[in-house]
Amino acid sequence: MSSEPIERRVSFLGDRLKGRRCQFCGKEYFEVRDYCGACGRKSFGKMVDMDLFYEKGKLEVCTFTSEPTNKFTKLGSYIYGIVSFHDGKIRVPGRLTDRIVRCNEEIDFSALEGREVTPRFRRRYSVDKSDVIPTISLTFTFVDEYYPHQEYTIVKPNKEYEAAGIVGYGVYTSRFRIKEGSIERSVPFVDEDAITAAVEAGKLALIHSGIDSSLIGKIYAGSESNPYAVKPIASKVAQVLKLGEECEDVQGVDAVDTEFACKAATSMFKDAASLVSYPKSNINCAMVIGTDNSQAAPRDCPGGELDLFVGYGGCAYIFGKQDVIAEIEGWYSCTSDTPDFWRRDGETYPMHGGRFTGDPAYFKHIRNATEKLMERLNLSVDDVKYFVAHQPNVQFPVRIAKELGFKEEQYLPSLQVAKFGNTYSASSPVGLAAVLDIAKPEERILIVSYGSGAGSDAYSIITTNQILDKRQRQKLTVGYQAENPFLEYVDYTTYRRLKLGM
Amino acid sequence: MQIRPAIVAVGRTKFGEHYEKEPEKLIEEAWLKASQEADIERRDLEACYLSDYFLPITNKFGLEEGFLSELTELHVPMEVTRSFSSALSNACNAIQAGRYGMVLVGGIEKMTDRWDKIRDDLMLLEDPWSYYAGCTPEANHELMLRAYIRKYGIKGENIEKLNIALAQVSFKNHLHATKNEYAQYQRKITVEQVLSARKEARKPLGLYDFAPISDGATALILANEDVARKLTSKPVYVLGSSSATDYLTFPARDELTHFLVSEMAMKNALKMAEISLWDIQILELYDQSTVMEMISLEDLGFCKRGKSWVTIHENCKDYKGYYEIDGKRLFVNMNGGLKADGNPLGATGGAQIFEVFKQLRGEAGERQAKSDEEPMYGCILELEGFGTKGYVYIFGRD
Repeated sequence: MSSEPIERRVSFLGDRLKGRRCQFCGKEYFEVRDYCGACGRKSFGKMVDMDLFYEKGKLEVCTFTSEPTNKFTKLGSYIYGIVSFHDGKIRVPGRLTDRIVRCNEEIDFSALEGREVTPRFRRRYSVDKSDVIPTISLTFTFVDEYYPHQEYTIVKPNKEYEAAGIVGYGVYTSRFRIKEGSIERSVPFVDEDAITAAVEAGKLALIHSGIDSSLIGKIYAGSESNPYAVKPIASKVAQVLKLGEECEDVQGVDAVDTEFACKAATSMFKDAASLVSYPKSNINCAMVIGTDNSQAAPRDCPGGELDLFVGYGGCAYIFGKQDVIAEIEGWYSCTSDTPDFWRRDGETYPMHGGRFTGDPAYFKHIRNATEKLMERLNLSVDDVKYFVAHQPNVQFPVRIAKELGFKEEQYLPSLQVAKFGNTYSASSPVGLAAVLDIAKPEERILIVSYGSGAGSDAYSIITTNQILDKRQRQKLTVGYQAENPFLEYVDYTTYRRLKLGM
Repeated sequence: MQIRPAIVAVGRTKFGEHYEKEPEKLIEEAWLKASQEADIERRDLEACYLSDYFLPITNKFGLEEGFLSELTELHVPMEVTRSFSSALSNACNAIQAGRYGMVLVGGIEKMTDRWDKIRDDLMLLEDPWSYYAGCTPEANHELMLRAYIRKYGIKGENIEKLNIALAQVSFKNHLHATKNEYAQYQRKITVEQVLSARKEARKPLGLYDFAPISDGATALILANEDVARKLTSKPVYVLGSSSATDYLTFPARDELTHFLVSEMAMKNALKMAEISLWDIQILELYDQSTVMEMISLEDLGFCKRGKSWVTIHENCKDYKGYYEIDGKRLFVNMNGGLKADGNPLGATGGAQIFEVFKQLRGEAGERQAKSDEEPMYGCILELEGFGTKGYVYIFGRD
């Protein structure tokens, strides 16, 4: 599509699957309608808003498409069908996603029909490189597979904390993996990118936090693989997840993208925490997302060494002062102008400085930030239950943890790189989430990120009692996504194709 | 009906791939054939009602009326609509109102010029939301079949029979087209070919279940009864006509196993024609897919809901040239249907009427319906989109 106004209207309705219900007869409509066809004029202006974004549907009937229309050819083959919601009151067209249909695979439609599905936010179809990227949620996956359906229940907050902290978090990685040696890495499906992962992670964080999305006054999205050079990921997240007070089609939220290689997200934790603490900010909660379809040149090209380590995923944290699961005790950040990894404007893939990325870059900054923070808070290694470091590979975080004096039981639980690969901006945030998934109340966690270019953010976080209450709300934990029976492993060629996307 | 509109002559081109011809040339050819048959001149025409579904997209052709005016040196009122049936509807209204005595109704489409993008165009025009979700022009037909199987609880051996019945529809229509010099595919196919194409595609329907994309044009001369009688001894009257509309988005409709528009239009057209369903012997259905022929037999009332495939299956085991239902003969898609005759959207309805016209006048040659009594009434069903619009016309002779 080359019409931006049409694109705006389609994604406004389709990303969230907005509809209206007649409050007289209960008839439901996909798309926003001002009156009910059955009730006529009396219903004008009295239709009730609804959306299907968090709902569970049913695949009514389906068929197979191996010769899609031109814009869908990069999907190859897929299952297409009709999905119903609310016991058939509303029916929409839909495509099954996260599914590679093999060329010799027998398809039994009756085995797929009647099963429950959940809407997924994805790229709609391919467009030219210079076009606006179309998105939609008329893409579905089965709820009894990788991605379970989870209700978004808003819970009234009951406890106010003195210091700001994490009130909820969410981690999203795809169901596809490439396994090489002992390392598994997450691979996006062909309709996924940094934007879709950001929305997924934000959605899961809202579900986990139980807070009303309208309470979020600021959203930061950190990434180094935004498919746009100019156009924020954060605005898409704000619109799709309805962050801030909604006024007609505008969200009352400040949204901004940040960039500092792999620490684009962690850098903003303190800004989010400070913002919600400032008495006159009028901001109750702030969301920080790290998201990347981590970029790497093909293996035989300059910069191709990264291709052995890159993953895909998003991780979102919501900061606030009510119903906190982990309070922020303190932080320290450091920066130097160290050119160890970069990507020039207009270039597709990043370059890196080989061995130079180690001692003078990663190790120096992480060591500096960790030591300064511990010194400032007067902490010894034994005061820390879990240590989380940025994870570009398996060796680096292990070596720095050991050098700093941490033991295996302190750093191993956060080590996720062998499961998902280096998820760039989401790397250390995923490590933190893995620890929060298992931590008990009153435990101190040290998280230290690293971003090339270069700098580190170190945070000391202490869990609260409420971490246990909220844990049950999240089925899509880090462990669930790492060890999942529905993971699908792909070969190198497929991995490159999927990663390149639509 | 005070003034009965009557068709005095019809003309058409062969359907198929006309790479070498401009769209205007095709309509010229159809018009010349019709005018020759009626022995009339351009200046006798008081207005033109034309149809094309999407020439502005396929051929970057705007204001088709202007092209036609240049071509014919006619400066009479001309209107363009999207389907032949809708053009005819406007023409009938004008004749009945007494405004004009004789008009041209024409339809044209040139789809092969845009073969590479045509499926995107078709789908986007049919329903944008389905397109955005990944629908193809074929998928809705397949979903309708799936819904049909589920709704009527068709299982096991019967599914096999249903699938064969649908393949027989295609076989039958191709067989008819062998006798139609204008048809796009004048060759036989086998039931096995239809079945194996589905298997290859791993889909409920395959290549041989769908009508092709086509180029072609059709035309007819419509006049009021008095004028018609002066021009021909065998006018064919428009006795009943009706249309109905439905949602653009197929999944959003209440009913997934039939088209409301066909049912409604047929009911009203029959009422208007003041004949009973079984007076109709010649029937041209809009078989964009084999499923369409199956469900249309039910929509129009010729078969019970959920049962038309049984009728098709029984009749096609040893096909005699017609469907025999309750002892009555129904000649369906004698020209080969959209499947074999071709489907140049804006011209398709004209080809359906061409066939009924020829059959009712006993001029269909080898294709002529063979029955004890010569057919008096014929009927066409034309659709726009996937059942978004439906037109039914009932024609009769003296």
